[in-house]
Amino acid sequence: MFKELNPLLHSELRLGIMSILISVEEADFVYIREKTGATAGNISVQIEKLSEAGYIEISKGFLGKRTRTVCKITEKGVTAFEEYVEALKSYLDIKSR
Amino acid sequence: MEEKNLTEKASLELISQMITNSRRKLEDGNGIPFLIWGYATFFVSLMVYFFINATGDYHYHFLWFLIPVIGSIGMTVSKRNKTKHAGHALNFIERVIGNIWMVIGIASFIASVGAFLVRYPVLPLMLLLMGIGTALTGLTIKFKPVIISGFIGMASCVLPFIIDGNGQILVFGVIYLMMMVVPGHILNYKGRKKYV
Repeated sequence: MFKELNPLLHSELRLGIMSILISVEEADFVYIREKTGATAGNISVQIEKLSEAGYIEISKGFLGKRTRTVCKITEKGVTAFEEYVEALKSYLDIKSR
Repeated sequence: MEEKNLTEKASLELISQMITNSRRKLEDGNGIPFLIWGYATFFVSLMVYFFINATGDYHYHFLWFLIPVIGSIGMTVSKRNKTKHAGHALNFIERVIGNIWMVIGIASFIASVGAFLVRYPVLPLMLLLMGIGTALTGLTIKFKPVIISGFIGMASCVLPFIIDGNGQILVFGVIYLMMMVVPGHILNYKGRKKYV
């Protein structure tokens, strides 16, 4: 039986951001931009959506004179990510039979 | 990367790729803090030795407090330059190392201030503390030159007891050079070599 894929995570950029945040404790905006290769505007929109869903926490601070946005995955985000991977596995298991 | 839906296979590949990209070897750029604190301590040791020898005035021991000033400025500038273009992500091991050095730093500061109030041999204590910090860092990042330097630093804490007079200040500086500057350069060399 197919498990439903979380539509919030089933998008290239949001999944990319979540995959980065699952493997580190926190990452700043510049780091996410470098790793995903996406535009700053697009990343801003997507991290806002992930934050609204409670999957990540965003904190803003300063490093010297520059503002620094730091993202961190939440418990809810980790659970959603794990469920998403489980759902993916169920799709691939059934297709490979 | 854009906002588009993926096939299941592409999703798994993306997850795997992002996790691999985010996992970097821990020697990358980790030599910089060792170099900042190592060189700062070495040059301040030379200054203290020179001024005390030249003037006989022990108030020049206050120059030791230049080390946290130089070190803090160096660390701030280094962090700013590092994160400016590539950004920064903190992983578990980096947080552990940060906490180790925070504790060692606070202990060293307390020990230094204490030595001005009550007379005790602070240089061996510093070598022991820094040796512990270096060895713990080496063990955490699994990097032999740093582990060995840490244990050499810990073992050499007896040297200032053996050497009389101001000579122990010079020995202290040289031990710092071996314990922090040498592994710092090795770490940086290893990090650079990966990208050649």
